[in-house]
Amino acid sequence: MNWDNPYIYALGKFVAINVTFIGVLMIVAYTVLAERRVLGFIQGRLGPNRVGYGGMLQPFADLLKFILKEEIVPDKATRFVYFLAPIIAITAALMSMIVYPFGPDVTLPFIGRIRLVIAQFDVALLYVLAITSVGVYGVALAGWASNSKFSLLGGLRAAAQLISYELSLGLSLVGVVLMSGTLDLYQIVEQQSGWYGMHWNLFKLPLPQVLGFVIYLISAIAETNRVPFDLPEAETELVAGFHTEYSALKFALFFMAEYVNMFTVSVLASTLFLGGWNGPFVAQLPLLGVFYFLAKVFFFLFLYIWLRGTLPRFRFDQLMSFGWKFLLPVAILNVVLTATALYLWG
Amino acid sequence: MIIAALADYFPMLLFAVLFLMAVGAAISLVTQRNPLYSAISLVFVFLSLAGLYILLAAPFIAAVQVIVYAGAIMVLVIFVIMLLNVEETEQPGRARLRYLLPTAVVLAAVLFAEAAFIIFFVHGTGVDRANAAAPANTGLTANIGAGLFTTYLLPFEITSLLILMAIVGAMTLARRASVLRPTDVIVPGAQSLTRHTLASTQLSETTPVITHTTAEAERALGLSNAPHRRERG
Repeated sequence: MNWDNPYIYALGKFVAINVTFIGVLMIVAYTVLAERRVLGFIQGRLGPNRVGYGGMLQPFADLLKFILKEEIVPDKATRFVYFLAPIIAITAALMSMIVYPFGPDVTLPFIGRIRLVIAQFDVALLYVLAITSVGVYGVALAGWASNSKFSLLGGLRAAAQLISYELSLGLSLVGVVLMSGTLDLYQIVEQQSGWYGMHWNLFKLPLPQVLGFVIYLISAIAETNRVPFDLPEAETELVAGFHTEYSALKFALFFMAEYVNMFTVSVLASTLFLGGWNGPFVAQLPLLGVFYFLAKVFFFLFLYIWLRGTLPRFRFDQLMSFGWKFLLPVAILNVVLTATALYLWG
Repeated sequence: MIIAALADYFPMLLFAVLFLMAVGAAISLVTQRNPLYSAISLVFVFLSLAGLYILLAAPFIAAVQVIVYAGAIMVLVIFVIMLLNVEETEQPGRARLRYLLPTAVVLAAVLFAEAAFIIFFVHGTGVDRANAAAPANTGLTANIGAGLFTTYLLPFEITSLLILMAIVGAMTLARRASVLRPTDVIVPGAQSLTRHTLASTQLSETTPVITHTTAEAERALGLSNAPHRRERG
């Protein structure tokens, strides 16, 4: 197919965006189901297993329920901001999907050779960080606009937490960026393709990014408000935190945004540290790359669920001092070590 | 062919949309009564400016604009507004507007004069345009990094020194504003306090202070004649 033709190019991008959109939303829906089933397994119960085979249709039943439920808007809510907040949350979460590198160049029947990424540009990594940092507004404004003390406390906590952990998250990625010399996610993945597809930044010389990887994982969990850092929605103290006053589809949007963000940080983890679509025999069979990529992402999603079933919640001051006094200095140390190693042996 | 026409004018169209968004949000920023709405408007100004940077082939500046201004600074501003919860009734008096309005008109005139000067004298020379066509990748991250660490190394380092001074200054001010003796500890349950008022660095050598009423706690904190106390009384 002739990709130089602007119409075909635009149509191709349109189709690619829609396929990715639906694919990501399906993965998100089944992550929710997996979370409930795995949590059930961890806690010695069954979890939802009645709708469809083994509960496979449960996400759709939930969605239908979210759509059909009554919308309740608090009387004293600031209506405009109250409606704006979930839109900001889900838009910011979904916008980062255009830079996910799903796989290498593949040759598909009837279509020809295509690259499995929607947009490849110079600052892709910064773009993801920027878009996710805008997502804070969804949470903070939801807390403010609901005019409820639980929501406000949840929103304030979320704003403080996300700002604090964004720093160590960003700094933990600097090591990888230093080693790759680019911010383009696709090129970062391509550089990890040696050693039969096992030349991952996690093991790569001169300095394996193990430290950066651990810091990234911890701060990514805090960035997505997951256990053990789910202070903004701590149900034992804040009812449901920033989304206490949200119901029906607006609540579903927050819920989806949280899981899309989980997916995004998992994608970044596998892309930057675990080689993205790289693995054995990808050079012979490019479509295998998509499988490797999704397998790595699913591993991180499973890790999230596993942690939720295992760990208790932090106290808020512990969270803050951990982020600022431990994670941030260690992240800076990682940057210094990587730069030194690159200077000496790079 | 509508689509073909659209494709040709797409950058112009994008510019128009972003420009209108920036100006509209800026107007909303200064006219809103509610400070939170003003802050949200400012976020939209920053986002549309980032879009304009991308149109100018400077993706790095655009991303940094969103991360630093929209993602960090404005979140802190909104955080403070949410904490203070300023009432809408707090309106500026007419007396303040009386001298603000002429000032605004004069400043706007200066701004327009500057813009007109640039449009008629700088842009029209043609020399800049010929040069500007070639380096379309000046805005890329690698080029900006190379520039910062070679040609502009001294200004870059001086800026970082300035920022360090600002941090040290902020920390000094925050220390001075603390009303707690470093050895004081409030036992949770009797009175609740935000924990950052405690000097956690010296928690190892603490003498617990147990209080049961607000007055007692204030005395223990050395707050008994603090300004907020007098305002309420």
